Amino acid sequence: MENNGISRRSLLAGLGAGGALLLAACSSAVDEAGSGASAGPTPKAGGTLKVAIPDDLIPKNLFTNSNTAITALIGLVYESLTRYPNDSIEPKPRLAKSWTASADGLSLTLQLRDDVVFHSGRAFTSKDVEFSIKAYADASWHAQGQLQSTAKAVTSVDTTDPHQAVLHFAHPLGNIFDLLDTVFIIDSETVEDIKTGKGFVGTGPFTFKSWTPNSSLVFEKNPKYWQPGRPYLDGVRIGIVPDTNAIAAQLKSGQVDFAEGVSPRDIEELSKDAKKFNKTTLAGAEQQIYVGTNVTAPALGDVRLRQAIAYAIDRDRIISEVFRGNGYATNLPWPKYSVAYDAEKNKRYAYNQAKAKELVAQIGTLPTIPYTYNTALPVYAATAQIVQANLAAVGIKVELEPVDAATFVKQLIGAEFKGIWTTFHSWAQYTPSTLVVSAYPFNALHNASHFTSDDYTSASQAAWKQPDGRSDAAIAEYAKVSDELLEALFLVEIGVIPFQWVSSTRLSGLSYTKRWELDVTNAYLA
Amino acid sequence: MTDTVQTPTRPAADAPTAPEQQLPTATPAAATPAAAGPASVTPAEDVAAVATAPRRRRVLLHGRGLFGLLLVGGILLLGLFAPLLTPYGPTEQIPGANLLPASGRHLFGTDEVNRDVLTRALYGIRVDVLVVFVAVPLGALLGTAAGTLAALIRPADVAVQRIFDVILAFPPIILAIGVTAILGAGITPIFVVVVAVEIPYFGRLLRSSILTLRELPFVEAAEAIGASRWWILRRHILPNSAEPLFVQLALSMSIAVFLESAMSFLGIGVRPPEPSLGTIIADAVSDLDTAPMQAVGPLLLVTGFVLGFQLIAQAVGARRRI
Repeated sequence: MENNGISRRSLLAGLGAGGALLLAACSSAVDEAGSGASAGPTPKAGGTLKVAIPDDLIPKNLFTNSNTAITALIGLVYESLTRYPNDSIEPKPRLAKSWTASADGLSLTLQLRDDVVFHSGRAFTSKDVEFSIKAYADASWHAQGQLQSTAKAVTSVDTTDPHQAVLHFAHPLGNIFDLLDTVFIIDSETVEDIKTGKGFVGTGPFTFKSWTPNSSLVFEKNPKYWQPGRPYLDGVRIGIVPDTNAIAAQLKSGQVDFAEGVSPRDIEELSKDAKKFNKTTLAGAEQQIYVGTNVTAPALGDVRLRQAIAYAIDRDRIISEVFRGNGYATNLPWPKYSVAYDAEKNKRYAYNQAKAKELVAQIGTLPTIPYTYNTALPVYAATAQIVQANLAAVGIKVELEPVDAATFVKQLIGAEFKGIWTTFHSWAQYTPSTLVVSAYPFNALHNASHFTSDDYTSASQAAWKQPDGRSDAAIAEYAKVSDELLEALFLVEIGVIPFQWVSSTRLSGLSYTKRWELDVTNAYLA
Repeated sequence: MTDTVQTPTRPAADAPTAPEQQLPTATPAAATPAAAGPASVTPAEDVAAVATAPRRRRVLLHGRGLFGLLLVGGILLLGLFAPLLTPYGPTEQIPGANLLPASGRHLFGTDEVNRDVLTRALYGIRVDVLVVFVAVPLGALLGTAAGTLAALIRPADVAVQRIFDVILAFPPIILAIGVTAILGAGITPIFVVVVAVEIPYFGRLLRSSILTLRELPFVEAAEAIGASRWWILRRHILPNSAEPLFVQLALSMSIAVFLESAMSFLGIGVRPPEPSLGTIIADAVSDLDTAPMQAVGPLLLVTGFVLGFQLIAQAVGARRRI
């Protein structure tokens, strides 16, 4: 797979970039929180970046951001209209240069860049904006993007001017920039190739060259990229390595310069060697680990049992032992920088075994509750076993049911869990209303917990329909949603976990989007 | 994998030698039971039966037989007395003891959820004991029954042989994955797979023994003087086939330990948090460089178990070939 790796490495080692490189290494891990490139020595053009990731591409799931191959491909080949900096939800220009929203919140006018061409050579116009948003909402895709409700609320797009797109909405959309950050612009002429995996044509810094299933993805520099002088790299070659131990081994042996899917403990070990490896913590692109409950399962319909579960879980222990201290405990989904974050509300179900025991005593006899988790990542098994011990300590007996990744996702989307389950959810890093109208576990209209409540539905709809997702009025609505989540407690949050990437110190300028998409536009190899 | 699975077929090739050694049981005296009826026992057979048992025991009292017996017995005792040997429970999460290296307090260290790995390994032996001493004999019993049926009734032979072919067509781990897909992970699929894997080996072994034995003169003689089929089977054929079956039993036990560990290692065996040697090793593999004892400790137990049964099988098999 990596035929020329050793010779190139030895050559570059011979160049002895030494001190300057080291400086870049120390700074990059910290600097990556921003969306731009990290400061470092003069960037050097050329070279192919070698990457290892654990997942293979599933072309039909392209809009779901559901695995590392998909997020790497989107990040390299495609671009969105606007982009959030990683630490806020204030949109910045990307393919759209500027925008103005109507006073009633029912339309948004986007001025588009006029110097952008697709990899096929065709110019990017407002028609592509219309096509991409419609494709995202299209039910014919195997798995749709979770923001489809927002995409469907875009009723029409005025494309009279090729460099101006006017979006019209069914109702004010407080999270419209979440959609514009998420939907990437695809080429209407080659859309069928996406479904078969034959070709992926976008406007991004790299062109798609080939995909060998279960083996590799190859990308080449886009010579017509609209950002002058970018990208620095000649290409990116991604190896698909399902075994996480093997990924760590490839990184250690220098076969690859960047890897995703390395376990928290391997990351901890590798990052001890700061001369060789950089750790990138994906701040602003967090995921939340949680215990979901099926409220229609025996005993779980009683909110006191769900409260007992929330009190019984030793969140700090899970964060420190399973996630090696990377993250923090929460009772609500919002990360600390979110406008919906409330430190007081977040302490509502702090670890309290006595309270949990009291609630269990009130309920009386409990059945054994099935507890499903995904065997794909070792962190799920470890979390589930700690939660199981925590619950046993307060008198709640659960039986672990490990299932493979495909079965787990099927049960999650189909709301088929028999008792409780543990996995990650995301979308809380965006406008808070996006979470409650989009994510499978939270969607007020259809969620994995079978939870329905008029109060929760109306609170989430009211938050969604705010014209400005960051206004005081919107924040007041988010507070109501938070209260509903804490009262109903159909989902027990454990903690907010930012993913972590590891790269060799040869690589500088590595970045990411809020959805973990790989951004190497400004990256270069020493 | 392939090697291990093919190993048990070796004694089957030895099977034809068995009747020659056992021929004394088929002396003319043994061939005169018709008048006395099937229930009576002739003196000559008595002597032969009594002589075989001590000899079998003797092979396990020296050399590799003894070593094998000690290995198996020692590990068995460790599993049996696990609660007395360690202060911790197998699923007990010891506060603050996260991923501790091997030390006097925790000989194999502690795992990612703060459990003592030695304790889990000792309790993990119990799963293997269950599989080895319940599932394997059950498979052997069903296999010999099917083998007998196949040898005695021609139409049944065709059906049984084809069923054996189907089972043998699946490598054990593939069969295990299939069974787990239907039954879900846990001890039950391990049990089912071990039983299913053993049936054809014992069945074929016994069938070939019977087919060879029934052509021998002493069986013909018994038939000629009017002995019933069931009586011949019970008094002549089964006792003469017993020894290769015993060798196969010891071999199968070693394979069962391996199979349980492999299934648990792949995550389709014993369900967490219950310990089994395979799951402990699987969990420890990612930390092999930082905490080697977590994997090496249970691996030694699996190796000891497999080696012990193999040595017993070899000792018994070698004595038969003298």
